[in-house]
Amino acid sequence: MPAFPYLLYTFHGGLFKINITTIGMMIFTGLVVLVFLRIAARGLDVRKPTKIQNLVEWVADFTANMARDTMPSERVVQWIMPLAFTMLVYLFVANWLGVIATVALSVHTPIPWLGLTAANLAAGHNDVPLFDSPTANMSMTLGMAAMVWLLSHFVGWRHPKHYLRHYLNPMALIEEITNPLTHGMRLFGNIFAGEALISVLLGIPMLFHFIPIRLPLLLIWLFYSGFVSTIQAYVFTILMTLYVGQKYHVTDVRH
Amino acid sequence: MFELGTFIVSIITFLILFYFIQRYGFRPFAKVLRARYDYVTLQVTDAEQSRAQAQKFLDEQRQLLDETRHQVKDMLDAARVRADEQGREILAQAQEESARLLEENRELIERERAEMLSAVMQSVSSLTVELSEKLLRRHLAQEAHDEMVKEAEKILGELVC
Repeated sequence: MPAFPYLLYTFHGGLFKINITTIGMMIFTGLVVLVFLRIAARGLDVRKPTKIQNLVEWVADFTANMARDTMPSERVVQWIMPLAFTMLVYLFVANWLGVIATVALSVHTPIPWLGLTAANLAAGHNDVPLFDSPTANMSMTLGMAAMVWLLSHFVGWRHPKHYLRHYLNPMALIEEITNPLTHGMRLFGNIFAGEALISVLLGIPMLFHFIPIRLPLLLIWLFYSGFVSTIQAYVFTILMTLYVGQKYHVTDVRH
Repeated sequence: MFELGTFIVSIITFLILFYFIQRYGFRPFAKVLRARYDYVTLQVTDAEQSRAQAQKFLDEQRQLLDETRHQVKDMLDAARVRADEQGREILAQAQEESARLLEENRELIERERAEMLSAVMQSVSSLTVELSEKLLRRHLAQEAHDEMVKEAEKILGELVC
C-alpha cells in the first residue's frame, strides 16, 4: 500500500483519518464532469443538437433505458435520472483518471501531521500518491454504496407495510449486508486491481536485458483497464437503480 | 484500508458534487430532452389529428362521390326509360299516321277508279249506242231500231247499275 496523505481528526476520543488524495480527486473528478457538461451545454438546441450535445443526450438516454430496465415505473425513472446520470458520468471519469495517469511523489522525510509517519512511508516504498482514481479507495466506494443503501431504504419507508413485509424472509437481512458490501467492493476491487497491475507492469525489467516486453503488456492491460473502468461505472449505476427500484413499492406506479 | 473519516467525507463530498453537477450540468440537458419530448409529442398528436381530419374529409368526399354517382345513375336510368317511352310513343304515332294516310289514299284511289270506270262505261255505252244507231239506221226500219236501242239501253243500264 502506498502511503496516502491524511487529514487527522480526533473526535470523542476516536481518530478519524481523511484521505486527502481521494477527496481531492473526488472534487477534481466532479470539476472535470461539471466543466465537460458546461462545455457540452453551450449552444443547446432542441431542433439542431451539436455533436457534443448529441453525445451527452445519448448518455442520458442510455441511463434512462438502464433505469427503465430495472425500475418499476416511468415516474421513478424520471426521479432517479439526475442521480443515475451523474453517477454514471462521474464514475466513468473517476475510473478513467487512474487509467490515464497516476502521479506519486517520492517522499523521504516523514510529515507526521499528514499521517506520513516514517513507518507508513517505509510500508509504501516512499510513494505518496497525489493523482489517482478516487474509486481505487475502498472507503470512498463503500461510502457511495452506503449512500445508495440509505437512499433505497428511504425510498422503501414511503410504504412501511410493504417495506417490512419484505423482511419476513430472513435472507433479506443478509442481503442488506451483502448488497452494499459487494456493491462498493466490486468497484474498488476492479479499479484498484487495474491500477496495481499497471504499477507492477511498469516495474517489469527487460527480457534478457534487451526485449522490452513491458510496453505491449502495458498496452494490453491499459486497454483492458479502460474497458473495466467503463463497465464498472455502468455496473455500479445499474445496481444503484436496481437496489432503489427493488425497494420502490409498485402502488406508486401511475401510467 | 477502511477509514471511517474518508468514508463519511466522501459521502458528503459526493452529495455536494452531485448537487452541483445535476443543477448546472444535467438540468440544461434534461430541459432540452423534455422540450424535445414535448415538441415531438405535440408534432405526433398534430399529425395524428391531421390524419384523422384528412381521413374524415376523404370519407366525406367518397360518400359524396358515391351519392353523386348513384344520383347520376338514377337520372340516367330515368332518362333512358323516358326516352324509350317517348320513342315508342313516337313510333306508334308515326305508324298510326302512316296507316291513316295509307287508308285515305286507298279510299281516294278507289273512288277515283270507280268514277273513272263509270265515266268509261258511260262513254262506252254512248259510243256503242251511237255506233249501233249508225249501223242500224243503215239496215233497219225505224221501229226495229228503236226497239233494239231500248233493249240495249236496258242491258247497258243493267250493266252500269
